[in-house]
Amino acid sequence: MSVRDRLNPSWCRFMPVLAAALLGACAIATVTGARAQAADRLTPVIDDVLPKIVKIYGAGGVRGLEPYQSGFVVSADGHILTVWSYVLDTDYITATIDDGRRFEAKLVSFDPRLELAVLKIDAADLSYFDLAASVPADEGTRVLAFSNLFGVATGDEAASVQHGVIAVTTRLDARRGTFETPYHGEVYVMDAMTNNPGAAGGALVNQNGELLGMLGKELRNAQNNLWLNYAVPIGELRSSVEAILEGKTPRAVDVPAEALPDNPADVAWLGLVLVPDVLERTPPFVDEVRSESLAEAADIRPDDLVVYVGDRLIHSCKNLVEELARTERNTEIRLVVMRGQELVEVVVAPNEAAESESE
Amino acid sequence: MISMRCMVRISLVLGAAFIGAFAGVAAFADEATLRAKEEAAIKAALARVAPSVVRIETVGGLERVGRVLIGTGPTTGLVVSDDGYVVSSAFNFVQKPDSILVTLEDGSRHAARLVATDNSRMLVLLKVDVDQPLTVPEAAPKQELRPGQWALAVGRTFEPERPNVSVGIISALDRIWGKAVQTDAKVSPNNYGGPLGDIRGRVLGVLVPMSPTGTGEVAGVEWYDSGIGFAIPLEDVLHVLPKLVDGADLDSGLLGVSLTGVDLYSNPAVIAMARAKGPAYQAGFRAGDKIVEVDGKPVTRAAELKHALGPKYAGDTVRVVAERGDARVDRRVELVDQIEPYEAPFLGILPRRFASDAETPGLIVRYVYAGSPAAAAGIQPGDRIQSLASTEVADVDAAREVLLPLAPGETVKLEIRRGEQTLLLEAELARLPEALPGELPPARDSTPPAEGDMPPVGVVDVKVPEIANECFAYVPDGYDPRVAHGVVVWLHAPGGFKREELLARWQTHCDAHDFILLAPQSTDGAVWRPTDVRMVRRLLDKVCDDYNTDPSRIVVYGHQGGGALAYVFGFSQQDVVRAIAAVDTALPRMVRPPETDPLKPQAIFSTVATKTETSEAVSRGIEQLRTLKYPVTVLDVGEQARSLTPDEIAQLVRWFDTLDRL
Repeated sequence: MSVRDRLNPSWCRFMPVLAAALLGACAIATVTGARAQAADRLTPVIDDVLPKIVKIYGAGGVRGLEPYQSGFVVSADGHILTVWSYVLDTDYITATIDDGRRFEAKLVSFDPRLELAVLKIDAADLSYFDLAASVPADEGTRVLAFSNLFGVATGDEAASVQHGVIAVTTRLDARRGTFETPYHGEVYVMDAMTNNPGAAGGALVNQNGELLGMLGKELRNAQNNLWLNYAVPIGELRSSVEAILEGKTPRAVDVPAEALPDNPADVAWLGLVLVPDVLERTPPFVDEVRSESLAEAADIRPDDLVVYVGDRLIHSCKNLVEELARTERNTEIRLVVMRGQELVEVVVAPNEAAESESE
Repeated sequence: MISMRCMVRISLVLGAAFIGAFAGVAAFADEATLRAKEEAAIKAALARVAPSVVRIETVGGLERVGRVLIGTGPTTGLVVSDDGYVVSSAFNFVQKPDSILVTLEDGSRHAARLVATDNSRMLVLLKVDVDQPLTVPEAAPKQELRPGQWALAVGRTFEPERPNVSVGIISALDRIWGKAVQTDAKVSPNNYGGPLGDIRGRVLGVLVPMSPTGTGEVAGVEWYDSGIGFAIPLEDVLHVLPKLVDGADLDSGLLGVSLTGVDLYSNPAVIAMARAKGPAYQAGFRAGDKIVEVDGKPVTRAAELKHALGPKYAGDTVRVVAERGDARVDRRVELVDQIEPYEAPFLGILPRRFASDAETPGLIVRYVYAGSPAAAAGIQPGDRIQSLASTEVADVDAAREVLLPLAPGETVKLEIRRGEQTLLLEAELARLPEALPGELPPARDSTPPAEGDMPPVGVVDVKVPEIANECFAYVPDGYDPRVAHGVVVWLHAPGGFKREELLARWQTHCDAHDFILLAPQSTDGAVWRPTDVRMVRRLLDKVCDDYNTDPSRIVVYGHQGGGALAYVFGFSQQDVVRAIAAVDTALPRMVRPPETDPLKPQAIFSTVATKTETSEAVSRGIEQLRTLKYPVTVLDVGEQARSLTPDEIAQLVRWFDTLDRL
């Protein structure tokens, strides 16, 4: 996604970029400035972290894809952790470390499920993050994010530093269909504009400079159309990176598809007739309950509005159909319906019904 | 928590002592401690406010409001009473959901109903039925709020069990005409409806999208996450809570006056017009009164009046003091929620125009509309109107001023001079006509050739510093700087235009009716963007600076995409544009037409086709404009949309020519 794309069609997209630009203008402490003012309170922390940050250059440069991203050193002898992306899809990856030295980097291995990759450069005695250290963090933890966002740092210029707090820790799969990413695990959502083009692979540290996570790729929340600023906690990445560092074969490349039930439930099977699905998001009101059906046995009534299947909020008729298709018939299905102004939990128990049928 | 400030202060003092003893090393150690303590304080404040922050989910409703796509994700609310009242941002309910579900901090889910809406502060009140008392947050007293103090914007949109937080400071107080505090914490759909907390875990306000210029539920959303966010002080919310609990929707309070001048910050608050049915008029205020005080606070500029009235609700009573000559008018006025849209009155004549150096014989009738009040009263072309409603009128502007506050249906007395006769007539004012006019008599006598310096005429390239867009104007060859000319801002259809073709269609009309044609090229080259508005305005201003233009006949014309920009441009530049003509264009949904302004009247021309994809949208737009009391002239072009024929262009220019009608 290029800067121009971001600016173009939607005004909503405009503000984060503007904000990022403002940050660029005032809030990003560049090293030169920070080093000059040795008494600055975060300077020692920044000085400690910057030598571990790497700028990575590779494929891209067409169709508005930036040919660069960020990474950080995870071993004294030149292993670099970064995100797995099109940038690495080339035989010529270069890595520029903090002192300005440029290296040709070799792709050691990658794990597409976690969207991580490990590179190796031919260097020794590097300053690095110890992945074994485990550092807790949660809402309100103050953080610094290091990355080469927008590629502003060239040559021997150091990466950019942004500050903020962790807004929340959440899981990207907490709401199905909300985030389009192969990674479905825990993330730190940041209260700072950290996830800009080129920032992916950057390091997130706490205010003592201890590594918390790796900045993710740009991602939009499909439910409220906002861009998400996030990092993947290092704990989620650790075992995969360690496996790669030990020279083990990385995990299977194929991302396992969500296991669908052999015998999926559906509306007709329940004995429900919904209102005609005429809108993009038709609320799933029950039009009719077939007699002697599972729905009738569960005391679902006409005009009930189905609002939850299990713990999932149901927005529409389509949504209900999809959710039922993910639900096995031979299980107890818990629904919450809204009846007037009341929420009523109903349990569809197919086994009992099946037994009574067989009697 | 109260001790936190003290602790920070003590550590600062200690820090100072240490610096004295150990210089730099101790300073770093102390900085680290301070940072750790700040982090601990932020977390403690979050933990304290979190129990009052609830998660809201909705089912059903609209998918899109204006140009904002409404998300389906969870939003946030704030508990304000232990028996189940929750406030939230109106933005979260703009889609008018069928059902509302609230998840409390303990994970329990409840159906909620919408009790009332505060349309001034863009809040809603919800009610959930609960068995256990809810945790009510402590409100921070409004007078303790200071710019620079910590501010935590809290939502519950990512996880039901965990609040999400953004940390910033209070940027300013008394924003949005006194209604909101401003923060640089990131405010977005992730926390609209949630609290803005202080470092002690008390609640400063309720987060809402807001804009100082726009109104409505989605105004200000474009500022999300920008470092410009707003919250309504909780104290103000609690103040009106009893009314909301009773189910009363609240609206902004209106005085019902228009002010003179356009610059709020340099002009005093002089009433240009007090609307006849508005509360200010009823209380005795009249045009010309200068408002100098509201509720004891002095008002020297129009902006201060807006600021004083901003926080007020309909039904509130304010004390207004105005100066009328040497007298002071001191009245109590009960504000109202709505002033009926202004509808201009119509006498039914066109005035004759005169060169600026000619001796003006007064208001001479050029043309009498058939079937109009003027025709019914027996007014004839060539008559001179000497007085209207017992007020002497020396020229058109004076007559306009007399008619302005009158409504269609009211009766005016006229004194007419016809030859040697003086006639006393009476006319019942009507609504503005919407039909296209037929042939018109000339508006003015031909003038003797002008002398002295002349600006360039014919096809002229219009250049403004910093604007690279190509733009040309056609100025009639017989342009006379003593004669005020109308301006047609011609906005091309998608794909641009050919200069020669455009000239061939418009040149003779411009010559015949004293119009200058201004044709800018969009920045994109093919399509218009809303950002082009400023560029077009500067080009128009340039033409108005260089030529003698008639402010009552500045119009904007466009076809398809050009028509869409015509609406955007016309309504956003209400101060100069008197008519918008849109061919094969529906009123864009993102455009909110302003209220009709008696001092800045605007007329609309639109074509309709019966069997195109956009027919329905076009008709809907026309209906919307008529509801707002805009006069809309409609030209039916048959089944399929098309460009105007040469005859229709001639008709349209004649219509432009009538915009100085009375």
